Amino acid sequence: MTLKGKRTVRSLEKGRARWGWAFVAPGILFFSIFSFYPILNAFYTSFFNKKLLSLKPPKFIGFQNYERVLSSPDFWNSVRATAVFAAGAFVPLFLLSLLFAVLIVSRKRFQRTAQMALYSPAVLSSAVAALIWLLIFDPRGLANQFVNLVANTPGIDHKWLADATMVQLSTILVYVWKYVGYFTILFVTGIGKIPQSVNEAAVIDGAGPVQRFFRITLPLLRPTTVLVSVMILIQCLKTFSTQYLFTQRGAPLGPINVLTLNIYNTALRDQNLGRASVMSVILFLCMLLLSWIQIRFSRSEEAEL
Amino acid sequence: MSAMTRAGQPRWKSLPGAVLAAAILVSFSLLILVPLLFMAGASLMPPHEIMKMPYDWIPKEWKWANFRQALAGNDGNWIYLRNILNSLVVSLSIAFTTVLLSASVGYGLAKFDFRGRNAVFMGIMATMMIPFETVMIPLYMIAVKLGMQDSYAGLIVPFMMNAFGVFLMRQYLLTFPSEILDAARIDGCSEPRIFREIVFKNSGPAAATLAILAFRQQWDNLLWPLLIAQREEMKTIPAYIVKFAAEKNADEGAMMAVAAIASIPVFALFFGLSKYFLGGSAVYSAGKE
Repeated sequence: MTLKGKRTVRSLEKGRARWGWAFVAPGILFFSIFSFYPILNAFYTSFFNKKLLSLKPPKFIGFQNYERVLSSPDFWNSVRATAVFAAGAFVPLFLLSLLFAVLIVSRKRFQRTAQMALYSPAVLSSAVAALIWLLIFDPRGLANQFVNLVANTPGIDHKWLADATMVQLSTILVYVWKYVGYFTILFVTGIGKIPQSVNEAAVIDGAGPVQRFFRITLPLLRPTTVLVSVMILIQCLKTFSTQYLFTQRGAPLGPINVLTLNIYNTALRDQNLGRASVMSVILFLCMLLLSWIQIRFSRSEEAEL
Repeated sequence: MSAMTRAGQPRWKSLPGAVLAAAILVSFSLLILVPLLFMAGASLMPPHEIMKMPYDWIPKEWKWANFRQALAGNDGNWIYLRNILNSLVVSLSIAFTTVLLSASVGYGLAKFDFRGRNAVFMGIMATMMIPFETVMIPLYMIAVKLGMQDSYAGLIVPFMMNAFGVFLMRQYLLTFPSEILDAARIDGCSEPRIFREIVFKNSGPAAATLAILAFRQQWDNLLWPLLIAQREEMKTIPAYIVKFAAEKNADEGAMMAVAAIASIPVFALFFGLSKYFLGGSAVYSAGKE
């Protein structure tokens, strides 16, 4: 190639690189302003005494916000509420969605119909889901009627929205109902990736369905189970709408004052941005840890395969 | 979908096992639909029928006035109509900008070589780990500084695109044949035109998946509109629902009518385009509220 030819190739490459930057530029701009700046700002604000709508310049107060938050019973109550909610929703969500997925792929017909039925609550807005259940949990509502019919305890009010323990159960119920179909689909997709030949070989060797599930499906499904577990937990940490709507309708705040709701109230009602930022940072670190576990596991799975 | 029907699970061979499996599946599928049936029935009932014990699933007197009251509101100012319009404007705009901007960034990352490309990609992917709940307060302060409270800009701009969209479009465009792009360049086609006429017009399936995803996420968004839209006429549907439900004298039938109206567009999408809902990559991040 002549010298001139080389030069045109290089300038062409330079031009191409410039166009690459041009196409990527909106992304760099957007994520800088609406993701990176805010997360840095949340860390920064957590060290300041900053009030919403206050004209006074915020004062640097070091770790005082952290000390205040970490020594406040209100914060630890939110940690407890979030943990109870996450644990309480995780177990049924995980087990039921796995069960439904296994049942769905074992059917010849109606696979799609069953998936659509189970998935349909996930299509609803969370606010709509909470609103429907608000009426079901009414003292005269379906929840009481159903439980009293099954348990044969006519006329008893189980105080779904009034009792401290029951209201936690109620929010968990709404969540499991809404998201079980969503995670079922993830499991269905995961099971679909398991090579059929392995199962056929096991059938020839005389393995029963239960044996095949525990010896073949479950071990080979591990990438999906890890992914779904982490997704359920992250999803549970983000819960907000149900708790917000229920408390707006007079349910006791304490038992279901999850972290997101506490952040919202601390910032908007108490106008204390510093302390809201501290809680945001703590929530962020929890989710970062979960994401890290997810990435680590998906990497090691890839390496094994 | 065909991969799922061919899925690697052998059928239950024994009859009792198969019957049991089918029974469990059918009963749970029906059970999960009960609250939806309740919403549909109750949206046409007067309050005393909704709270009747035992409950009758079919309305006795079909009270269509519930829908009128849901739209008119307890103050009779018809603000819900405006809020529905807001939800449509915001969700559709975000669906459009997400597809357009994600396609642009995904194209830049997939088809151009430049130093720092991987750093940009990893940086954008890292934002997936930042949950909205932790940045909502700083975002609110930014929006206030820019004077975006109670405006469509305030509702739309912070959600104009997302990292998952960039990921999806990049993966899709990696498989797009570069020869076509080079042929267009040799023919003297400008880069913006190549993007517009060739890349964007051929990203159909990925774009549809992404558009539906973005639309649903925004239709469901409660937290941000709650912060940014204080004026009644700028609220979106979820914020209206919370406000309507919190009113002490709210009629239960009208409440369910409000819920039913809010659900019609997403259910129409769901039944019309269910493959985009049940397909693998679409569900991957649909859980992001």
